[in-house]
Amino acid sequence: MRLRSVRLTPYLFIAPFFAVFGAFGLYPLIYALQLSFMRWRGGSQARWVGFDNYLYLLTSPEFWSSLGNSAVMWLLIVPLQIVAGLGGAVLLANAKLRLRGFFRVAFIVPFVTPLVAMAQVWIVVFDQDYGLVNYLLNLVGLPDVAWLTSTAWSKPTLALLFLWKTTGFAIIILLAGLQAVPGGVYEAASLDGASRWRQFWSITVPLVRRSMAFLVVIQTLAVFQMFTEPRVVTEGGPYGSTTTAGLYLYDHINASDLGTGAANSFLLVLLVFGLSLVSVRMLRPKDEVS
Amino acid sequence: MTTSPIGRRGFLKGALGVGALAATGSLAAACAAPGGTGAQPSKLAAPAASASSAKGEITIWNRSGDLFKVFDAAIAKFREAYPNVKVNHQAVDIDAKLANTLISGTDVPDGSFWDDAKIGGQAEHLFDLTDLIAPYKDRTSAYKLSVNTVDGKIYGVPWDLDPGLLWYREDVLDKAGIDPATLATYDDLLKAARTIKEKDPKTKPIHLEKTPFLSQLWLEMLANQQGTSLTDAQGKLRLDSEEYRRIFAWIQGAVKDDLVTHAPYLEQTDVNTLDNGQQVFVPWAIWWSFAPQQLLKNTKGKWRAAPLPAWTPGGARSGAMGGSSFIIPAKAKNPELAWLLYEFLCFKEPGYTAVYGPNDVYPGGLSTSIPSYTPAADPAKPLFKPIDALGGQDLWKVAVEAGASIPAAAPIPWWWAQSVDYLGNNMQRLMEGKMSPDQVISDSAEKIQKNLIDRS
Repeated sequence: MRLRSVRLTPYLFIAPFFAVFGAFGLYPLIYALQLSFMRWRGGSQARWVGFDNYLYLLTSPEFWSSLGNSAVMWLLIVPLQIVAGLGGAVLLANAKLRLRGFFRVAFIVPFVTPLVAMAQVWIVVFDQDYGLVNYLLNLVGLPDVAWLTSTAWSKPTLALLFLWKTTGFAIIILLAGLQAVPGGVYEAASLDGASRWRQFWSITVPLVRRSMAFLVVIQTLAVFQMFTEPRVVTEGGPYGSTTTAGLYLYDHINASDLGTGAANSFLLVLLVFGLSLVSVRMLRPKDEVS
Repeated sequence: MTTSPIGRRGFLKGALGVGALAATGSLAAACAAPGGTGAQPSKLAAPAASASSAKGEITIWNRSGDLFKVFDAAIAKFREAYPNVKVNHQAVDIDAKLANTLISGTDVPDGSFWDDAKIGGQAEHLFDLTDLIAPYKDRTSAYKLSVNTVDGKIYGVPWDLDPGLLWYREDVLDKAGIDPATLATYDDLLKAARTIKEKDPKTKPIHLEKTPFLSQLWLEMLANQQGTSLTDAQGKLRLDSEEYRRIFAWIQGAVKDDLVTHAPYLEQTDVNTLDNGQQVFVPWAIWWSFAPQQLLKNTKGKWRAAPLPAWTPGGARSGAMGGSSFIIPAKAKNPELAWLLYEFLCFKEPGYTAVYGPNDVYPGGLSTSIPSYTPAADPAKPLFKPIDALGGQDLWKVAVEAGASIPAAAPIPWWWAQSVDYLGNNMQRLMEGKMSPDQVISDSAEKIQKNLIDRS
């Protein structure tokens, strides 16, 4: 009897986690998977349609267009954010920097500011007729730009909002990576005559690659789920040019097209998983490559 | 006991998979569970209790804002008539919550305010109110009944009617020597716009809407005026028709002649061009009355309302643009009491007077719509007062007479809002000169059929 209770005790300790995970994590996932093979609009009974939802999406120009929009956003955001994040981290890691505390706060404030409020500011600042940005352009003799209402500029403008919001987070991650690099490595390099630039490329960058890989994965997930920015600022327009994969998925759910929404979710899962895997492989430090 | 260690690579892969699943799967989980019984909608019978014996508590959902306060005051009047009915009146984000609540069936209110466009899509979760509305049917706007009817059954208590009107600058027309009474057709409107532009080339007299959603809602007003709508009662698309082609050709002509200001509804650009004299005509719903009352400064008092021009001589002088009704969910706990409230607000004089008449929120009365119940919409018995911001014009009379000419329509299909991605966007392309009327019709019809109707 005693032996049995001893064996059960560890399971009892971990049971709450599994119960909560099962109820709120695993069960909805399995249910959503089942739903992805059904047509259901929230009323009556769901109808089994096999792979029809998946086939519909895979042959839908709108689905591919939403992925294309997200891919362009990714290209506009992630490389730039890595560069800006690394620059910011190197800046903040410098103990001689004046006003270091101020810069740390300034970089992190957007990250903790509600996104909807920032998006509203974006609408005002980038308004074609009365926005601050066009006002400044006019002052130097440049014409108005349709930042939010032209298909050419809408994505870069939203990408800039995303960068403003999240680059502080990138700096924190990369700063943590930088601070983990032993100071002795730089000292040895200096003694060997390596310039600051050489140290940056040959020590800093390789040793924060793991942090960069983490950041790329996290931001890939975030970009492909990007929702609030296009929803609030452009509502996916003009002409669907800012309908990201996340917003396109939401549109199905909002239209009570729940089966297609679920199928869209799983296609995104596969895509994001694949992209993350590729990113990790590309950025893995060389000593880990077998 | 030995344990096999998880390699770093394996852990990373696993973490990636779980992270990706959790992140994107959480959106999928929001889809909820497939279920439902497929049962026929319930028919709500008239309550047997008298006003004094009706007893209980109801939860009523409404939009937040000024309208909530107006209904709050009207509900107080209801409680004078039904003292034993307690009303738990809640301000709720109805667009975000109501459909999901109806589908899940949990914490369902006893009644709710809802857009006419959304009622048809959720009819199976609502009480069939046909028998209850029958005594009032002959005295209710045909348009409102038609948009609340699915398969011959009425699912919403028709509340407001939002007639389209032609808003115009009286002073500008005076200077140009144009009598507003001569604007009988849309061709007359184009002619007047050309005359105004000749006198002042800076003007772009006619407002065209720049947001896809509102431009499509506006299109439906113009179509309703001609007795048609996006689909017929059987849900068959009728975009490829003479009526729609006529509207698109008119828009194209106005754009080609540089007679339009293409601006988003009452955003800064729109307000400025309304206030600086660039815009002279705004064919829009009655709720545009908000602009001169609240937003316009320089031109406040200079705007007037008239019936819309007709598409053909002698045709209808108005169409509906938007509108809301009240629904009673099939899983409501006290549906009979909710009906008593809505019957009071829509069909009883103390009720509709409390809603539309002068009140603390709107001292002159609620002038952004009119009642759809015809005894309440009597031109000789105004519920709201003449409006100073319209130079003292009796908007009530203009709106009520225009509202009486609105033709019946068809139930608004569940996918209407989604069709904006196709039709609303193509309307914008037409207004920007990037598409012809035929292209708008063929491209929109094909996409709506394939992506929305065929997947119903």
